[in-house]
Amino acid sequence: MFDFARVQKELVEVERDKNLSGVSIQICEDNLKHMRGTIKGPVGTPYEGGIFTIEIRLPAEYPFEPPKMQFITKVWHPNISSQNGAICLDILKDQWSPALTLKTALLSLQALLSTPEPDDPQDAVVAQQYLRDYPTFLGTARYWTETFARRPSLDIQEKVAKLIEMGFSEEAAKNALQTCGGDENAALEKLCNV
Amino acid sequence: MLQQIAVPAKDSTMDETPGLADGPAIFSVEDDVLDEIFSSVEDLWDDEITFFRNPICDQEVDICEFIGDKEPISVLAVEYESGNPIFKAKIEKLASTYGAIRRIRRDGNCFFRSFMFSYLEYILEAKDAAEVARVLKSVESCKQALLGFGYAEFTFEDFFAVFVEQLEYVLPGKSSTSVDTLIERCRDLVISNYAVMFFRFATSSEIRRRADFFEPFIYGNLTVQQFCNTSVEPMGEESDHIHITALTDALGVPVRVVYLDRSGGDSGKAAEINHHDFVPAISQSSDKAAVPPVTLLYRPGHYDILYAK
Repeated sequence: MFDFARVQKELVEVERDKNLSGVSIQICEDNLKHMRGTIKGPVGTPYEGGIFTIEIRLPAEYPFEPPKMQFITKVWHPNISSQNGAICLDILKDQWSPALTLKTALLSLQALLSTPEPDDPQDAVVAQQYLRDYPTFLGTARYWTETFARRPSLDIQEKVAKLIEMGFSEEAAKNALQTCGGDENAALEKLCNV
Repeated sequence: MLQQIAVPAKDSTMDETPGLADGPAIFSVEDDVLDEIFSSVEDLWDDEITFFRNPICDQEVDICEFIGDKEPISVLAVEYESGNPIFKAKIEKLASTYGAIRRIRRDGNCFFRSFMFSYLEYILEAKDAAEVARVLKSVESCKQALLGFGYAEFTFEDFFAVFVEQLEYVLPGKSSTSVDTLIERCRDLVISNYAVMFFRFATSSEIRRRADFFEPFIYGNLTVQQFCNTSVEPMGEESDHIHITALTDALGVPVRVVYLDRSGGDSGKAAEINHHDFVPAISQSSDKAAVPPVTLLYRPGHYDILYAK
């Protein structure tokens, strides 16, 4: 009973206000069951400045069953596994409701980055550090953000190559990426709208 | 001998089993430990019984239909043959007023599923086209309320459409529609679950619309919005008085709940069967004494449909 129509409506909605919400989703497979979402690290947290990618897999029962979400970008947070990105969040488990959407779920992950709950941890080591040595926790979380969640400038070459593969000229690809601050999706949109 | 008990992965705080992150963790427990846990079962409260019964209900889920067949009320007496004497006395009383019961799957959605079938069956048998026209207006105001609260329309429009289709299905004048075909529809996984979600949205919209009224009835430190998010909108969350009151008000459909529990029956007095009529806050019917179109039997943690003789 996979509800394609519903997922499509959701994707349109996400696409429409991604600049406002800071949340975006890219489809990985044509069957709409596998995608990747990105959220921005909240301002005023050790995740600020980072862009975090989340793997999304939709079960056949979606939206009656929650989407399966897992951080692909490594992140140092009490409720996210530092090993494999597994997330401890009630709405992705028994508190899920079809009233929620992929966008609201991603926004909840963003909110989780702002308000860790070390008493209900996914990663016991991180939670211990958060509770016992908060300054070290902050330092580690910031370092992980800098190391893993920053879109490094080296990456630009890769993005350019990707756009060239899609049939755009190198110059146009570079220009588009530059004007969009390195955001490959925004750049692609720009190129397509020329 | 060892027994295996599944514990929700949510409760595991360690990160040593990443492969099991989404599945249940399995622990082994000796038989005698289990005996100890269950030896004091007599002292349990209703919610504790519900807690222990839930895993059993999960097994039952695959066995029972969403909506069972109509059975004579005597099946209840059989069920409690060796049970509590208060229950047995009450069941005898129950049988003098009610002739049949229709059991509903125990999956936390039983109130909504029993409400849906009982209500649609009433419209079908009473050929009450005016009721359909009336309730459609209530459905529309629920929709407007949700939009006003900022719900994205695509999150609920499909569920509303399924319930409206159900209403159209029982409109008088369709020769192909019968109670049997209605049962078939209500046993359909998609139709039934979508309709349950419609009821959950309708309930949620009413609670939020009259937050000041409902707030004092909410347990714990939850706000009205948190209550709706955690106890109304997710599938499988059980219904209590708040849900029934809200749905009754939202749709303007009165509901009678007959209680089969251990209350009363002490000091030699004969056990009385209590019932409560949930009457819409703004009752559109002038005849308040009328028997509500929906009559449900409540046993701690569960609702089934009752039929008067």
